[in-house]
Parts: sequence; structure tokens; C-alpha cells
Amino acid sequence: MKKVKVILGISWAFIGLVVIIIMFPGSGVFSEKLAGMSFMKINPRLTGGDVAYKTTMQACTLVVHKPVFDGLFGDRKSGFVQVDWRGKVAEKISDTIDFDHDMKPDFFVMINTKNDSVIFTPFNRKVKGIAISTSTSYGWTIRTGLDK
Amino acid sequence: MDKVLTSSINGKSPGKSFLYTLPMFLISFMFISGGRPTFTDPAQTAALLTVFLGMNVLYFLMHYTGKTDKYRAVLFIVFALSLSFTLIKNMIEIRHSMSFSQADLVECKIPFCHLVIPMLILPAAFTKSIIFPGTILGSFASISSMIVLWLLATLVMGRGFCSWGCFYGGWDDGFSRLRKRKLIRKVGDAWKWMPFAVLFMVSLTAALTFIPTYCDWICPFKTVTEFEKVTGVESAAKAAVFISLFAGLVVALPVMTKKRTQCSFLCPLGAISTLSNKITPFVVKIDKGVCTDCMKCADVCPMYAITPEGVRSGSVSMFCSKCGKCVDNCTKNAVHFGIRGVPAGTMKNFSRNLFLFVSFLFMAVFSSGTIIFTLKSFYSLIF
Amino acid sequence: MGESFLLGLSSGSACLVTCGMVLIPYIISGPAGLRRTVIDLSLFMLTRFLIYLALATAVWYFGKAIFSSVFLRTFLTGTLYTVFAIMLVWYSIGRGRRKDCPAAIVKKVDNLRLVPVMLGITNSLGFCPALLLILTKGASQQTLMQSYLAFVMFFLGSSLWFVPLPFAGKLKRKETLELIGTMATGVAGVIFFVKGLTLIIGGLING
Repeated sequence: MKKVKVILGISWAFIGLVVIIIMFPGSGVFSEKLAGMSFMKINPRLTGGDVAYKTTMQACTLVVHKPVFDGLFGDRKSGFVQVDWRGKVAEKISDTIDFDHDMKPDFFVMINTKNDSVIFTPFNRKVKGIAISTSTSYGWTIRTGLDK
Repeated sequence: MDKVLTSSINGKSPGKSFLYTLPMFLISFMFISGGRPTFTDPAQTAALLTVFLGMNVLYFLMHYTGKTDKYRAVLFIVFALSLSFTLIKNMIEIRHSMSFSQADLVECKIPFCHLVIPMLILPAAFTKSIIFPGTILGSFASISSMIVLWLLATLVMGRGFCSWGCFYGGWDDGFSRLRKRKLIRKVGDAWKWMPFAVLFMVSLTAALTFIPTYCDWICPFKTVTEFEKVTGVESAAKAAVFISLFAGLVVALPVMTKKRTQCSFLCPLGAISTLSNKITPFVVKIDKGVCTDCMKCADVCPMYAITPEGVRSGSVSMFCSKCGKCVDNCTKNAVHFGIRGVPAGTMKNFSRNLFLFVSFLFMAVFSSGTIIFTLKSFYSLIF
Repeated sequence: MGESFLLGLSSGSACLVTCGMVLIPYIISGPAGLRRTVIDLSLFMLTRFLIYLALATAVWYFGKAIFSSVFLRTFLTGTLYTVFAIMLVWYSIGRGRRKDCPAAIVKKVDNLRLVPVMLGITNSLGFCPALLLILTKGASQQTLMQSYLAFVMFFLGSSLWFVPLPFAGKLKRKETLELIGTMATGVAGVIFFVKGLTLIIGGLING
């Protein structure tokens, strides 16, 4: 029994040696395999959710995402909807957004991208205030609070 | 030179030490240079050669002197300092600030670090998604590559990752070496269980809020890397928390106790690594046949892994990070690196050589990128 | 609501350490059989649940009367959070913690059927710092339903610790788990302390 333990222990140590040696040259392959697994995607609460629709405007594209209510055990009561303006963003942005595509406007937003000021008018009672309004590398993004 | 490089019981002759260093020399060069070294940029070349030679000199000295910890610590501390330098330099060049903005969060541009891993587990299990605003693959410190490296290293080295891999550990390791004597001699042993409580709470809060709580509120190393821009009361509170924790657990307490208090009392990843020590092949053992119960090992252990009761029963606890300090300080060669299943007191040299090769290779390659970048920046200023 | 669950979860461990000294002997020394144990535990839990609902109602109406303005709501809540959080941290460190659970009084009860009910009453009215925190939270909620929800989540979090109670004797490293649980209570206290401070400072700045 003692001899078996010694052999197993030394074998495990040598396996460890092999693992460390192949780890670095193989890290690209291993990382790709791990990245391909179903749970390896960033949670929509951080990415802003899938894109619902895009509207091409003069200098930029309006991208409206699907509402995000993700929670640990299913949807939460409160979430948000993200809207991006991608491309050459004007100094003043103003748009009326219908994020659920029911032909009824949900909120109006006017943003001064120079001084970050925002005028926000909700038309849908499920829409709460602006949670985030920020310039990004691709233009401008807002997230508005939503109740389910 | 003789006084500085006095061999211990484990020391080898120069020729033998060189032979043991040769495989490291060859493999580390291959990995550090990426297999296809180019020497077009003088600063890059100088940095690469300095790092490569420096690392192998340290490895040679480990074999020649028979001492592990002080040479390991040199590379470990340099790694920690280099990483902070690299991150801060990059951030200031790109963002003109050490703080990240809402845009960086929205665009998921936050570099990932292994300390986040415990907080990802529950949400990944329930929602099949990662609650970190970073990139999955293909960027600096991408989530997938960091998880792979940490997982494989921990499977092999267990909590040895905390002394041979963690790019933050060098901070409190370094501060713990500043004083010759301890100012605080005794800190309650029970505090070493605190990381488990922190792990429990941050895992739960992260799962409930979808925010990696440790990173958001607690991580002391935001002081020397990047942090959320202070725009209100909450972000100011967060800044106060992490700065206080850095000052207390990373600087003050390690200086006063000569222990790695941030790693021992706070780090939730350390708790998981502690559990992994139960399955790794490499362990530290006590040979009761030669041990005289002097308790020097217990006194010098920076991770509270060796207790007087443990010494009397000949066991080192699962909190051991395999730094080698106890091994170096044992005058009887009773404390030694070992392999699981191999009885204590046997195959000491073989076990040490194998463990050193595995752990040093990992540390050398893992740290080389950042150290080369740091040195290159300095050389570019000079030349 | 996650906060309430978390508070329950972190406080339940400390509660178990003190009250467990009475609960465990009672539950494992009772008449033999899993059925009896389950009935006793269910009675105990049901009593706690009903008491918590009653507390949620009372404290919400009390809060409506006291927290008349947004300023008071944030400032007072923040102050109470801070004070009770300090108590929770002190409680977990152990120097000020009562060693005897109030449920010890139940030892004097003759009618065995009443014991789980009495244990439930005394346990839920123990007024440990965690309960004081959840009372503050309940009082500061906008609606009665939100107060109920907070207490239900607190009940669920704290109850998880009682479920494996009958098997507690068989657990290895029980003391270590209790120590970790107690430290987790302290961490929860620190979380509420910082939250409380943030509310106070935010309340003062925003007037």
C-alpha cells in the first residue's frame, strides 16, 4: 500500500510537471476551448443586452437593445434598456425611443454631449429615470431604468 | 561572496547547480521569447536578456545555496511592482488617469484578474454567464486565458500559486520583510479562517447583485492598479475602504507582524487555493525523525500554516503556500518539500528539485511579460 | 431583497452558535424518529415565520410615522444601520455576545408539545443586532409588501442554518464552520456599517 501511494504521488507530481510545461504554449488552445463553453458569455446586465433593432440616421446609427431583467433565479422586477448612438455623434442628441416596438413612444431624451446634461421625459410608466449616460469609444450610450 | 552564498544542507556544487539550471535555461528562453525571438528593438532585446538571465541566476542560486524563499521573493516582489507599473502606465497613456469610467464598464473593457474567480461561480452555475465587464478572449488579461492559467497552476501547485504566481502577493510579501523583528508577536490563529467568511459573503453578494463585490468594494490592490472614478458618496466610500485595507493589511500589518496578512486574513481566492492544497502533488512535510520542536518554522511561516501542535504531530496545514521560508530556516533539514504519498524524510532532494522546477518555471514565464515591459520602459528612457 | 436574505444567512450562523446549545439537545433528545424531528422543526420555523410577519407589519407602520421625509428616511436609516452594524460586528467578535440564548428559558417548560413553539417565539424575538438591522430595513420600506418581503427573505436566509440541525452532531469540523459563520456575521456587519455611513453622508449632502 505504501509503495502504491509513493508511485501514485510521484506520478501525480510528474503529471503536474507536464501540465506546467504545456500550459503556456497550449494556453491559446485551452482558452479558446473554455471560451466556447455555454457559460462563457458576459451577463446582459453588463453588456447591455442583445440588439433589438437599429435605425440608420444621418451621421450615426441608433441602436436599441432589448430590455434586460436578468436575475439569478429568473427575471427581476427591475431592469434597464440600453440605447446607443454609434458613429459621429452630434453635439446635441435628441430622440424619441420606442424600445418595445409597439408603435408607442416610451421616452424622449435630449443629451448635450459637450456638458453631459440630459433631459429625459418618460411616456411609459414602466420607464424610470436615466441610470447611465456616457460617451463611449463608438459614440454615446444611455441606460434607462425599467420596471417589468 | 562565500558568506553570502553559503550552502545549506540542500546546496549543490556549482557544476551540479549549473546542470540543474540548464533545462530551466532552455525551456524558459523558449517560452519567454515565444519561440521566435526577434532582436530588432534594442530596448526590448536588452530587457528580454536582462529578465531571462536574471531569472536563471536566481534559479541557479536556489540550487547552489539550497535556499528557496529569498530568491523566490526577489522575483515575486519584482513581478508585483512591475504589474502595477505596467497597468498604471497603460492607463495613464490611454485614459490619462488610474480610474476607469462608466464607459469602460459599459464597453466591458476592464482587465480581468484571478481574484474575481470565486465570485463568478454561483452566477455562472445559475445564469450561464460571467458577471464581469471584461472580454472573454483575445485581449490583455482576457477572462478565459486568466481562468485557464489560474486553474491549471492551482491544480498543480495548490496554494503555491499564492507564493509563486499571484501578481499581488509580492506586495505584502515585500512589506513583511522590511523589519528584522516583529512588532506584534502574536495575532490570533483563528483569523486565518477569515478568508472563508469573506469568500462566503462575496460569493453570495456577487450572485445576488451581479457585481463582483470583492472587486467593487474590498480589493486593496485597487490602490496600485485601477479603480472606479470617484464621482459621488458611494465611490468615495469604496475608495476609502480599499485605501484603508491596503494601508492596514498590505503595508502596516505585514511590517509589524512579518506575516502576509492580506493573503492570510482577507483574500477569498486564497480560501479556494487553501482547499486545493488537499489534492495537489506537492506538499511541505516535517520529518519527525530529526525535528527538535524548536518551532522556528512556525515562527517564520508567513501564512499561519504551521502551528506548534502541527509541528509536534509532524504536519503542515492546508494553509501552506509553499514559499520555502520554513524549509530555509530549519537548521535540521526536518522541514522539507515533499510529494504527496511519499513518506516524510524521504526523497527530500528529488521532491525539492521537482517542485522548484515546476513552480519557478511557472513564475518565470507568467511574470516575464510584465517585467520585460517594465524594464523596456526604463531602458527606453536611458537609451 | 438580496440584502435581507444575506443578512438572514449571515446572522443565522451566529444565532445557531448561541441558540443551538438549546435547540440541538432538545431536537436530538426528543422522542425517536425522523417524523417527530421534522414536526418539531416545522413548528419552530412556522412560529418564527409568523412572528416575523407580525414584526414586519408593526415596524412598517412605526416607520411610516417616524420616517416622514426623504431626509429622515435616509439619515435615520443610515444612523440605525451604522449603530446596529457595529453591534453585529461586536456580536460576532464575541466579547459582548451573550453566551445564553434566550431560548434557554424553554428548558423550564413542562408541556413538550409547546417547546418548539416557545423556542420559535424566543428565537425570533431575540433582538440580536441582525434582527435590529432588518427591523430598520422594514421600517424604511415604501410599502407594506416590501417590508413583508424583506422579513421573508431574512427568515429564509436565517432558516437555512436550522435545516441541517438534526444532523449537526455528525458534522466534522463543526467548530471551524461555526467560526467561519461567526466571521461571516462580522463581515455582514461591516457591509451594513459602510452602507449606513454612505446613507448618512448622502443624506447630509443632499439635505
